[in-house]
Amino acid sequence: MARLDKIGKDAIGVAGVLAVLALAPLVVGSDYFTGILTVCLIYGIWATSWDFMSGLTGRENFGHALFIGTGAYMAAFVDSKFALNPWWGLPAGALVAAAFSLVVGFPTLRLRGPYFALAMLAAATIMQRLTRIFWQYTGGEEGIPGLDTLFDDPLATYYFCLGALVFTTAVLLLLARSSWGTILRAIRGDEAACQAAGINVTFYKIVSLMISAAFAGAGGVLYAYYQQAVTPDVFGVALSITLIIMVYVGGMGTIYGPAGGAILLALLPELLRGLGEYRLWVYSLVLMFILFFTPGGLIAPLWRRVTGSPR
Amino acid sequence: MTPLLRVDGLTKRFGGLTAVKNVAFTLEPGEIAGILGPNGAGKTTLFNLLTGFIATDVGTVEFEGRSLIGLAPHRIVNLGLARTFQLCRPFRGMTVIENVSVGCLAPRVRDGGGTAARARHILGQVGLSAKAGIAVDVLPYGDLRRLEIARALATRPKLLLLDEPFAGLGSNEIEPLARLIRKLHAEEGLTILIIEHKLREFMQLVRHVIAMDFGEIIATGPPQEIVRHPRVVEAYIGRTEAPLGVA
Repeated sequence: MARLDKIGKDAIGVAGVLAVLALAPLVVGSDYFTGILTVCLIYGIWATSWDFMSGLTGRENFGHALFIGTGAYMAAFVDSKFALNPWWGLPAGALVAAAFSLVVGFPTLRLRGPYFALAMLAAATIMQRLTRIFWQYTGGEEGIPGLDTLFDDPLATYYFCLGALVFTTAVLLLLARSSWGTILRAIRGDEAACQAAGINVTFYKIVSLMISAAFAGAGGVLYAYYQQAVTPDVFGVALSITLIIMVYVGGMGTIYGPAGGAILLALLPELLRGLGEYRLWVYSLVLMFILFFTPGGLIAPLWRRVTGSPR
Repeated sequence: MTPLLRVDGLTKRFGGLTAVKNVAFTLEPGEIAGILGPNGAGKTTLFNLLTGFIATDVGTVEFEGRSLIGLAPHRIVNLGLARTFQLCRPFRGMTVIENVSVGCLAPRVRDGGGTAARARHILGQVGLSAKAGIAVDVLPYGDLRRLEIARALATRPKLLLLDEPFAGLGSNEIEPLARLIRKLHAEEGLTILIIEHKLREFMQLVRHVIAMDFGEIIATGPPQEIVRHPRVVEAYIGRTEAPLGVA
């Protein structure tokens, strides 16, 4: 009975969050705000996908933007170079991002130590540089403007991105709570002990990175079509670091927490707009407060407290 | 009958130090044997070589007639050779039963299904059933030692290598653990190889002893003979002609 009650609270909580997200653009009713919220949802997809690999295994990825940028540029190529229906961008972006994750992950995830984190940082930076070197194809600093959209109506784009975030979170949460997730958390605990338990640690890390990359790449595609443009910023270190902060605020390794953390932190600058020139001050203070005083993050512990859910 | 494990000419050098030197022995199925030796004798290095955690320089290791040289640790486990670690290495942040279920997810046993039921059964075997849902981070040390064994058992090994299972245990915890090891050997038909440097617990448990010092095997035989073997006494207490006069 107590268990049923907890599941009930969890379900009510999920329904409540979804209702707020579904109604928010209708209540505010401005295209500008709908656009802000759309970006928040895309950040949610990125942070959640980061958390699946790095949050669960503890192998931090400092270059998640590699996958995001790959997806975004694939979207641009599909639309403007190959002149295909933009919907082809979604599978193309996800697949190519997963392929890139294999290229970086295969040599570095077999090793222990910081190689993977550094290789991801380097790979994203190199890709950003390449977009400038091969400017004939990538548009260099200007990027590729004038892309099509998936939907003409901003509200339709918003609801599609909401569906994509719910899908991403649900799939990754199910995986994280399956035996696959048990193994990833064991890898985080002790890799050698995991091998001694007969687990092929490298295989699990690489495949998890590919899954993480595919979702991040698909998120990059959504971002490119929302912006109707791509620029080299999508490969930027700033984006990778921002995502890690969002994951920390959300609660690392919980999957749903980072989705909430991303939405919160992406929305916060807008909510603080009324503060004018003090906005960045307050934003930074709030962030520092969260990072220093809630080491387990803010969103996931809050969720557990409110719903009584154990994880 | 083919031996379960055949080791021959096994050698490992770390720079100028020869940690394991020309080690050769065999284990028959159903045996319970021990490797005895003072700290630094090369016992744990030997375990790491057998289980693939360290690459072998020279020598052969055959398990059921199949060479283990060059295989990754998880491959070796999935052939039926499991180990525990000298220092407990639980998966922190997870519960006791989750720790054991990781071993139940090894490909060797996973296909049988029923992971949760198997994990509970193994916790029952090692006497941790009542603590299944507890986070390992708050588990007492003696239970961590049992968990270490449970996780190895979960992979359904034919040969279990125990690296100092009694290390750090209080005197009242040693006998129950020895009883558990004896039970696994007798009831499950498990072949067991134990590393220890303490003599007493050992002698009552194993039937065959391989004594090592400075990376080499210095004596083999039944425990009663090994404790009187001059080279073993020398390794433990010093030279027999030393003023202590023990021999």
